[in-house]
Amino acid sequence: MQERNKTRHHSRIFILFMSLLLVASVLICRIGYIMLIRGEYYSERAEQLHERERYIKAARGKIIDRNGAVIADNRAVCTISVIHSQIKEPEKVIEILSRELSLPEDKVRARVEKWSSIEKIKSNVEKEIGDRIRGYNLAGVKVDEDYKRYYPYNDIASKVLGFTGADNQGIIGLEVIYDEELQGTSGTILTLTDASGVEVENAAETRVEPVKGNDLQISIDMNIQEYATQLAEQAMANNEADRVSVIVMNPQNGEVYAMVDVPEFQLNSPYELNLAAYEEEPAGEDYQNALNAMWRNGCINDTYEPGSTFKIITTAAGLEEGIVTPGDSFHCPGYIMVEDRKIRCHKTVGHGSETFTQGIMNSCNPVFISVGLRLGVDRFVDYFQQFKLTEKTGIDLPGEAGTIMHRAENMGPVELATVSFGQSFQITPIQLITTVSMIINGGTRVTPHFGLRTLAEDGSVVKEFEYESVEGLVSEETSQTVRELLEKVVSEGTGRNGYVEGFAVGGKTATSQTLPRGSGKYIASFVGFAPAEDPQVIALVIIHNPKGVYYGGTIAAPVVRRLFENILPYLERMNYNEQRAE
Amino acid sequence: MEAIRRFFARQKKENRFFDFTLLFVVVFLIAFGLIMIYSASSYNAGLDYGDPAYYMKRQAIAAALGFVAMIFISFIPTKFYAKFTPVYYIVAIVLLLLLLTPLSHDANGATRWIRLVGGFNLQPAEVAKLCMILFMADIICKMGKNLGNWRQFLIALFAFPLPVVLMILGISKNLSSAIIVFGIVYLMIFVACPDFKKVLTVTAIGAGAVALVIVILYFFGEGILENFSEMPGVYRIRRIVAWFDLEKYASDEGFQTLQSLYAIGSGGAFGKGLGKSMQKLKYIPEAQNDMIFSILCEELGLFGAFCVIILFVILIWRCMSIAHQTKDLYSALVVVGVMGHIAIQAFLNIAVVTNTIPNTGISLPFISYGGSSIAFLMVEIGLVLGVGRSIKLGDGRS
Repeated sequence: MQERNKTRHHSRIFILFMSLLLVASVLICRIGYIMLIRGEYYSERAEQLHERERYIKAARGKIIDRNGAVIADNRAVCTISVIHSQIKEPEKVIEILSRELSLPEDKVRARVEKWSSIEKIKSNVEKEIGDRIRGYNLAGVKVDEDYKRYYPYNDIASKVLGFTGADNQGIIGLEVIYDEELQGTSGTILTLTDASGVEVENAAETRVEPVKGNDLQISIDMNIQEYATQLAEQAMANNEADRVSVIVMNPQNGEVYAMVDVPEFQLNSPYELNLAAYEEEPAGEDYQNALNAMWRNGCINDTYEPGSTFKIITTAAGLEEGIVTPGDSFHCPGYIMVEDRKIRCHKTVGHGSETFTQGIMNSCNPVFISVGLRLGVDRFVDYFQQFKLTEKTGIDLPGEAGTIMHRAENMGPVELATVSFGQSFQITPIQLITTVSMIINGGTRVTPHFGLRTLAEDGSVVKEFEYESVEGLVSEETSQTVRELLEKVVSEGTGRNGYVEGFAVGGKTATSQTLPRGSGKYIASFVGFAPAEDPQVIALVIIHNPKGVYYGGTIAAPVVRRLFENILPYLERMNYNEQRAE
Repeated sequence: MEAIRRFFARQKKENRFFDFTLLFVVVFLIAFGLIMIYSASSYNAGLDYGDPAYYMKRQAIAAALGFVAMIFISFIPTKFYAKFTPVYYIVAIVLLLLLLTPLSHDANGATRWIRLVGGFNLQPAEVAKLCMILFMADIICKMGKNLGNWRQFLIALFAFPLPVVLMILGISKNLSSAIIVFGIVYLMIFVACPDFKKVLTVTAIGAGAVALVIVILYFFGEGILENFSEMPGVYRIRRIVAWFDLEKYASDEGFQTLQSLYAIGSGGAFGKGLGKSMQKLKYIPEAQNDMIFSILCEELGLFGAFCVIILFVILIWRCMSIAHQTKDLYSALVVVGVMGHIAIQAFLNIAVVTNTIPNTGISLPFISYGGSSIAFLMVEIGLVLGVGRSIKLGDGRS
């Protein structure tokens, strides 16, 4: 029996051993599969787990004006953080950090004693203080250098420039449109860390250096911009207006010299509302709406009824179509009947008999209504389209508003009549100045713009921006006639207040009641250009809701006059067009 | 087989046999284990205890004690142990019951240790494995041919181990030790049962039951988890469900195994080099314990893993050889028990870290950190060496 038992357990042990051998082979295959076939997948996943990427912010490109003045710059600042596991003397760290950063001690203590891989204590610390903290050589305290956008001119051109957010990205204005050029490429440091985020000592670091963003040169001339801002603020104060917009542009190529929309805001603290304007501090959604309103650029984001300045366009269309000449006679009894509607002239007693030239000098509504009616709806709408009034100007700022116009099939004679003198439809200020530029520059529709070129750090040109322009939209004769007519408006007509000693200035006033009619709210505006025979600069001033006198000729034209008195000699000296031609 | 025969032929020159191969393999595994423990634990030990060698030193002390015990025990004739058969069972039960007293020591939410002097702890489950080997070897011998009838067969297979298994499961919540204890008994009966059909029948039923549970959980596991999330022990179901799709459970039950796969997968053919594991840097918690094999794979690659598995195979082969040559069934069964213990534990561990089976905490014999485990494993090897000594050369099969 013993012998039988023995042979039995012999064979069983052998079976057992072979089974275990089989299991071992299966496991070896399994390990081989994981290591050799799935290895790449798993090791990649593992690496992702081990690597921590630290970004090195790239310095954002500067924005400079056409003369090289820096209007958006970077300031080195520091971010102070603590790494809990590396702190050796917590009490000393708390004491020094709270003293240097002038933070309450309990606040710093809470951060220092919090168990986390890295805890930020304070960002946007002046570089000086950051350097001092680094000087203490405290274990576990990290001082990272960083850049913060800084605007030396503060509120000048705020709505044009815009500002950047915490991650250095543009939020509004040119900072958004040229974000890509300005941003640069951030660098990275790849380090290996353990599971709690502590960097492994002696592990090789992979470092990719950041590339600084390109500088952006824009067409704004800060001298003109500052002066225009000053004039706009005065006009706002003198007339107790809600808002004053000023655009100064080169009508030949669309370069914007200045764009003002007061009240502007503080670019270095864009999230602080001007609380004086509010009865109580807005909160939540209201707060955000208030900020958006504060940042809004009325020159391009809002539309308005252009009023009599639009008569320039009606004139150009009439001349171009040959249905009116400067010498044509009209009669104004103080109103005109269109179908059964009586549309009044601003001069209620009427201008009497007058030529077309006198009509535009007087800004006589019946004259332009007559011209408009002679054109008829179809031809008027065609010109509206030909002049590209239905398209956006394509200016390099975000959020340009479109034109609000009657549909051709809904336009009767009454609508046509009101459109002829600039009412019952809305365009943006930039649209008006661009269209007037086209009419007076010989028929070339230019794209208004700010961005001229991007520059590398050494000042060499990286990219010259090109803008579309369409020629021949009105004939040279029409253009010349309109220039002559508009010069007369300034020298002898309603635009007399825009007259500048020693310069031939052309221009047109406008006074329009805002909707709803009868509210007693007006928009006073004036568009002027000089020299009248070969316009080199065009300016549009719009005063929203002035109190007291509200005539464009009385309150808006003097603003342009004072602007031109200063900048015309200056521009002659700077000779920007020559510069560009070189 | 030819190799085995040649090896035996060489041994015939002496008249007493001592298995140096087995001794060498075990010493090599332990030394290698100490190196791996140092590699896997030094980073965390340095942070937690200020001494990178903390775990390695403790393990070395346990291994030294185990080594002395092993050599001492190898001189004791195996028959001697058969005199105390009931004692083993009582010792196992009493030690497990001690876990319910204040002498016990909790760690990681489980009560598995009894406090000993000098800051060392004893894991009763490890003692229970040894006790069950010695106890069952004698019981099975005494049952002899009777093991062939169903009643006796089922008593031997279930009635004896079940109290111990249930106590391990109930008191120390240690499923893997329970499985191992039961597995040891099963393998001993596998070898000794006169009626092999019964063994195969039970094996087939067991395998079928496991397969059924897996199929049910595969299809309904997630539903069960949603509806019975409060049930005690539900985490075991979660572990099985996580096994099907580790990445879905990457943040909880699948975490450890997934991290282990990352480590193994990073190893490649020859590994990153000793000490260069990244996963041991807290990615795998307590890397020196159950998951040490994955660190080994990461550092030494497929080659290292293959060598370790081969060492275990040699160890099993030596046990088989000794069991083969002893003329005494009791001694043979003790050796089979030890061999079963080491084989089950090693292969289950490797199967867990490679996600071949669901995760259950199981340590790698001789290599994983654990004083009780290594000390009692060496006692068991001492038993096997003792059996080996009893083989009179020229006395075995010829």
